[in-house]
Amino acid sequence: MIYLVPFIPLIPLVGFVLTGLFGRSHQKGIHEVAIWAVVASWVVSMVVAFGALSHGFGFGDHGAGITLWNWIPATGFSASMGFYVDSLTACLLIVVTTIGMLVHFYSVGYMAHDPGRWRFFAYLNLFMFSMLLLVLADNFLLVFAGWELVGLCSYLLIGFWFPRRSAAVAAKKAFLVNRVGDMGFALGIMAIWTQVGTLNMQAVFEKVGAIPHEWQIAIALLIFCGAVGKSAQFPLHVWLPDAMEGPTPVSALIHAATMVNAGVYLVARANPIFGSAPEVMVVVAAIGIFTAILAASIAFTQTDIKRVLAYSTISQLGYMFASLGVGAWTAAIFHLMSHGFFKGLLFLGSGSVIHAVDGEQDMRKMGGLARKIPITYVTMLIGSVAIAGVPPLAGFFSKDEILGGALKNGFLWVWALGFAVAGMTAFYMFRLMGMTFWGQSHVDPEKEGHIHESPTSMTRPLILLAIPAVFLGLLIGFPPESGLLHTWLAPIFEHTIAASGRTEAAYNFFGIDGVLAIGTTALVAIAIVLAWRLFGVDMPALGLRAQPRPDRVREISARPGLAFFYRGSSNKWWFDDLNHLLFVVWGGKLAAAVFWFDRTIIDGTVNGMGAVTTGAGARLRHVQTGRVQNYALGIAIGLIAMVAAYLLILIRWR
Amino acid sequence: MSNSLDSYLILSGLLFAIGTFGFLARRNAISMLMSIELMLNAANLTVLAFGAFVAPLKTHAAVIALLVIAVAAAEATVGLAIIIAIFRNKKTPLVDEYDTMRD
Repeated sequence: MIYLVPFIPLIPLVGFVLTGLFGRSHQKGIHEVAIWAVVASWVVSMVVAFGALSHGFGFGDHGAGITLWNWIPATGFSASMGFYVDSLTACLLIVVTTIGMLVHFYSVGYMAHDPGRWRFFAYLNLFMFSMLLLVLADNFLLVFAGWELVGLCSYLLIGFWFPRRSAAVAAKKAFLVNRVGDMGFALGIMAIWTQVGTLNMQAVFEKVGAIPHEWQIAIALLIFCGAVGKSAQFPLHVWLPDAMEGPTPVSALIHAATMVNAGVYLVARANPIFGSAPEVMVVVAAIGIFTAILAASIAFTQTDIKRVLAYSTISQLGYMFASLGVGAWTAAIFHLMSHGFFKGLLFLGSGSVIHAVDGEQDMRKMGGLARKIPITYVTMLIGSVAIAGVPPLAGFFSKDEILGGALKNGFLWVWALGFAVAGMTAFYMFRLMGMTFWGQSHVDPEKEGHIHESPTSMTRPLILLAIPAVFLGLLIGFPPESGLLHTWLAPIFEHTIAASGRTEAAYNFFGIDGVLAIGTTALVAIAIVLAWRLFGVDMPALGLRAQPRPDRVREISARPGLAFFYRGSSNKWWFDDLNHLLFVVWGGKLAAAVFWFDRTIIDGTVNGMGAVTTGAGARLRHVQTGRVQNYALGIAIGLIAMVAAYLLILIRWR
Repeated sequence: MSNSLDSYLILSGLLFAIGTFGFLARRNAISMLMSIELMLNAANLTVLAFGAFVAPLKTHAAVIALLVIAVAAAEATVGLAIIIAIFRNKKTPLVDEYDTMRD
């Protein structure tokens, strides 16, 4: 069965080549090629994932690898082109190929009228190849190759509508910010090579315990640096909201469900390295939970529907890192999977909303859409309930495990902040739902008449994604902390957990765990009711009255104590301005200074030497008369001078 | 004074100076070649004078002198050949016309 693995990334690669080569000349039906390539890859992935998750079919508890060829054979260095599949890989395979496939279906409708459609599908296929390469690779160098390729695809797809200046700028920003993190990852790989002498992951994980502790810390920190960039964690979170300039299916696939999870996957994959450096784990938890609360607070006040979801993604990714940091490894992967599904659903739903109101993204110009686009409304409502953490939907189980893990592993502060974030998440998601779907319509009157439900090619993926958003938690996460997912992933993390010295207390609903679950649920319920009171709508059938009250929102946010938070939140806590000042203004000045130094000092020295040589030559050329007697005179004078000097020395020092 | 090393050396010095002056001042290529011969012979005279007055140098001096004569003959041959070749090109024996090397 392991021989099937190379086909998983290979098929989308072939799809990319075909779509890219023949797309321009066969614009009508070329998306079929791209779609079938991903469907084929999905089928193979499902077979492989089934094998790996059942710990049978030659995979065993710890997975199996296959080496295709020696990629870089050099003296003293080698990297193989090889794949490794275990249950962690299988979980990622399920998320990536399933959501990837549904996004491909969805894009047929969403991009139906775009003249660059073939290019879009070619990029999507290239992305699928890169992401699968990243997930399947068996050595760090190959992971890095996939890592950079997904970055490239992200750049290409954010800037897909590149004639629009903001899209081109956002693409550039995403690329540059990602490079900062990638630099750290590359250094981490080099550090691994110098310390361990191999890049094969399984070999590295076996030997990492034996290297000096300061190197363990350095390697873990550098790898985490790469993860921070790719998964948009503080302080490199600024690129993800701008990445929403890309087409919405791209936001769903790359910037919510798959690529941004790469950082979480990498840290989880490298758990033996992080386990050997507990100091770095605390850093991971701190950055994760800080990002979660920061992004959630920004999501409160954003008015662009996709930006709210983008900050929500950053916040949830922060949750996952917090989970990794406190040692709740499985919970992080659980949240990765459930978040992938419901956030993909929410993004595709927002795309459907934008499609319905003819490209409008400002939620202040929406409202009252629930009855006009019912399928989108219901599916998005399911997604919102799932991400808010209402039992028994997917988000509840994964979030509950993360919070429980934080508390039981002794990270009270992570739990406290995470608890707050859970309430904030519910609030801003229902603010989004309220502004978009409930209350009065604020849609432009001329667009009002055109509002229509999206075509079935777009609504069908929404429905299909809503199913895992509801049932995934029950399916793989129930009963809590000993569900299917824990059985699957136990062999991956057992050594690290054992080495950390923590004994996992059994889940006890009639103890701390039950209190936590009920407490979180209560908070979430309060937040939802609050959001509904402020942004909600009358529900006469239930006897509930709550007109949306924008004046009340304005009044609350203008209170002296809250005004600062309101301004900070709506200005994204000034991170973009800080970066602008640091890197654009000051960086520009530094660059100007360096440019001046280069022009005047470096080039000046080189040009000056040239000028001196030329000038000296211009003067000295007159010496060359071409007359043999002038030269002979020179010889004679020289001879006389030498003899005279000799005699002088002879007389003086004799 | 007449039969001493100094007188020979003074004579050869004079001959060398005359040769040098001729080489630098005469414009005719043939005359310059003759001046070179004069300088070579002045040097040869010095060598032989040392050979005659300093006993341990006797045989060495003779050998060196013979060698210089041979070299001078070869030099004269080659020099004349060059001058004739240039003369055929330039139709003049005057060396200040031979300035094509300047460019």
